Amino acid sequence: MGRIETTLRKIFDIPRKHFEPGGRLEKLGPLFEAIEDVVFFPAEATRHRPLVRDSLDLKRFMSMVLVALIPPLLFGIYNTGYHTRLASGMSTDLISTTGTGLMIVLPVIIVSYAVGLFWELVFAAVRKHSISEGFLVTGLLFPLTLPPTIPLWQVAVGITFGVVIGKEVFGGTGRNIFNPALTARAFIFFAYPAQMSGDAVWVAIRQNTAGAADAVTGATPLALTTLQAPFNHIQEMLASKGYTLASLAIGNYPGTIGGTSAICAAIGALILIAAGIASYRIILGCIAGLLATGFLLNLLATPQTMPWFSVNPLYHLAAGGFAFGAAYMATDPVTAPGTDRAKWIYGFLIGALTVLIRVVNPAFPEGVMLAILFMNMFAPLLEYTEIRLRIKKRIPHV
Amino acid sequence: MFFSESPKAIEDMNPKQELPINRFKIAGQPEHRIEAAPAPKEVAAMPERIPLLKARLRVDTGDRVKIGTPLYEDKENTDIVFASPAGGQVVDIRYGPRRVIREIVIQTQKTEEHEDFGAHPGAELPRMTRARLVQILLNAGMWPLIRDIVYRSVADPAETPAMIWVAMDNLDPFHPPPDIYLNTPADLRRFKTGLQALEILCGHTYVCKSTKSADLDAEIENRVTHRIRGAYPAEDPGVVHFHNKTTASENRGWFIRGQDVVLLGEFLETGRYPTRRTVAVSGADIESRYVSTRIGAPLHTLISGVIEPDKYRWVTGGLFRGYSGSIKSYLGLYETALFLITESGRRELFGFMRPGTNKPTCSRTFLSIFNPKPLPVDADMHGAKRACVNCGNCTRVCPVDILPQFTYKCIRAGEIEEALSHGLLDCVECGLCAYVCPSKIELCHTFQQTRHAYFRERI
Repeated sequence: MGRIETTLRKIFDIPRKHFEPGGRLEKLGPLFEAIEDVVFFPAEATRHRPLVRDSLDLKRFMSMVLVALIPPLLFGIYNTGYHTRLASGMSTDLISTTGTGLMIVLPVIIVSYAVGLFWELVFAAVRKHSISEGFLVTGLLFPLTLPPTIPLWQVAVGITFGVVIGKEVFGGTGRNIFNPALTARAFIFFAYPAQMSGDAVWVAIRQNTAGAADAVTGATPLALTTLQAPFNHIQEMLASKGYTLASLAIGNYPGTIGGTSAICAAIGALILIAAGIASYRIILGCIAGLLATGFLLNLLATPQTMPWFSVNPLYHLAAGGFAFGAAYMATDPVTAPGTDRAKWIYGFLIGALTVLIRVVNPAFPEGVMLAILFMNMFAPLLEYTEIRLRIKKRIPHV
Repeated sequence: MFFSESPKAIEDMNPKQELPINRFKIAGQPEHRIEAAPAPKEVAAMPERIPLLKARLRVDTGDRVKIGTPLYEDKENTDIVFASPAGGQVVDIRYGPRRVIREIVIQTQKTEEHEDFGAHPGAELPRMTRARLVQILLNAGMWPLIRDIVYRSVADPAETPAMIWVAMDNLDPFHPPPDIYLNTPADLRRFKTGLQALEILCGHTYVCKSTKSADLDAEIENRVTHRIRGAYPAEDPGVVHFHNKTTASENRGWFIRGQDVVLLGEFLETGRYPTRRTVAVSGADIESRYVSTRIGAPLHTLISGVIEPDKYRWVTGGLFRGYSGSIKSYLGLYETALFLITESGRRELFGFMRPGTNKPTCSRTFLSIFNPKPLPVDADMHGAKRACVNCGNCTRVCPVDILPQFTYKCIRAGEIEEALSHGLLDCVECGLCAYVCPSKIELCHTFQQTRHAYFRERI
């Protein structure tokens, strides 16, 4: 260990002078610093009271989110590979499936990180601040919400929009109103609908087996809403397409790379709550809002209403990207309210809006994305209201 | 019965039940014994450590002083004087940036002389008027031991406080518990005399004791009005005051530390300025124990054994509220703790990815949450400064229900009125918000600076 440390130390010490103020690569200073900080944890001394500080820093904080993203990432790689090989008429053993999945998913993640990092660096260099770790999360969240067939240039355009318009124009991490990963996805969703929605985008076909491509049109469960189902029979209709409650929860159906599995998202949510990184209030609020609204719509369901009115609310919980959004996107602390009661309301309304968008307006099957962005906008208002109420309770000094 | 009204026992002082600061133990708890430190050859007064004080010197280098001779005074209220903690010659007056008086160093004589202020034993106190007592305390430089709850500065003698809090414990790691500084019958008697005097100053004098500290003599225990459960800073007089006040008229209060009550009693009984201090000395590499010494003692006299002095931060006054010094520093008037911590200065390889079984934290992101052993602390920031991500950790630990992340943003935006309405004046400067901040924002320092600026503008 000691020798590795000395070698690494040298690797950083030799080119350091070029990155310092006045050096040739001064503008790349934030990048150098960011990489060095990852390898060698900064050891700055305290100057003000309190003279001791907690061991938790933002790097650790954000890496816990990355740890929580491992289950949906791994499952997403496998699931993508599985459906690709299935549709292409190839064998679906674990190793080759994972290999195919990696071939499809890795380029998307690499492009997302590389292009995103480029913009982070540009703004860090111009604004003369360090690169914030929040990007590590954005750069991984965004690809997991994309269909596997997404062209890589669209990934680059999307993450550019997310980082620049979603975050940096507001002043960078901590000041953004909207979740950058969702802003990126929303941009792609509306700008390039042909590659983001419909039935054909969810499975990446490998052309090495002739004729296989026509065999599959993978309509996602939420897209089935446009189909006509007899009253109170939507569950049977879904089951006839292979979507039972269990398969929806497991998520082994074609869909976004990482967002299909409610169970993986639930594992991630548990990790985040156990580590104290994500607010359980938001997650439980989301679930409560979703189930309550789903149940309410059940009561309103008639043969004239849309078929999804009558679905068991649990289907809403398991289907689509709701679980992923509630666990990783809604809990983004920057864009969520910072006060406890506001978090419950924020979560509840995300759940409620998700169901409403899914059921009442089937043109946008991915309701959770729009619901979270919409509530992001209202987070400051919720926060403000709670702060006012709290101030009223205080005994004033003036 | 000592108090007119029935004492209210508070079982759970903190509405948040348990602050996460309880999650780990800090290594360096002093052993339960008192050792006498060698008599120091020089002693110093440190005007810089008195919050919000603008000091004016009353002595010059070369002057001879007795114990109790006024050394400096408050420019804004010249009735408030600060007494010399030693008898001898003023050998040096050291200044800091902007001519702030940092240290007034006095070389002690073999036999030190005392100023005589006249004894007022306990039996005489019932006949004493409040005005007379205030005058006696001001004259002798005893007044600064009584402090203001809101600004944590020296109390204003012209003011009538709603209540006086006697804080017997200080749980900021590590301070001497009551059973250490009240271990002789004479000290117990002096403590009672001190309480008697405080009763004259304000009828609502309350005595707070932590449930964590050992039981004392029954007579003292009967005088305890508030029993406080919970870790630092639940026992802080500002926190107790915040959770007990019911109207805006009760905003102003005073507080005094338990050890200072003993000094008050000693002063009244002897008529001499008392200088005794019991100090907790802790650190990973030194013998952690309690030491009896005197006010203004040089820090090196508190350490036994040989250490490398420059390796450490010599933190006096507790880890959270304390000041950073070196081996050349002295004990300030209010300081009863010395903690030696290191600045690691070592950039740990892949530091943020390690499981961290030994890393003290209030969060649940390191394996140290399963480690029941006391964990070593150091003077590292443990991370680089970042923007606030609104994680809310500061709000979770704030003992007086402020929303530090929003209050901080108000201050940064120049909205001082808004920050005040958030409760900035209730802030007890405990430092927990800045301690837990993952973005390493100097919340406590900012609040302190803003409170001080507000105090100055208000006058």
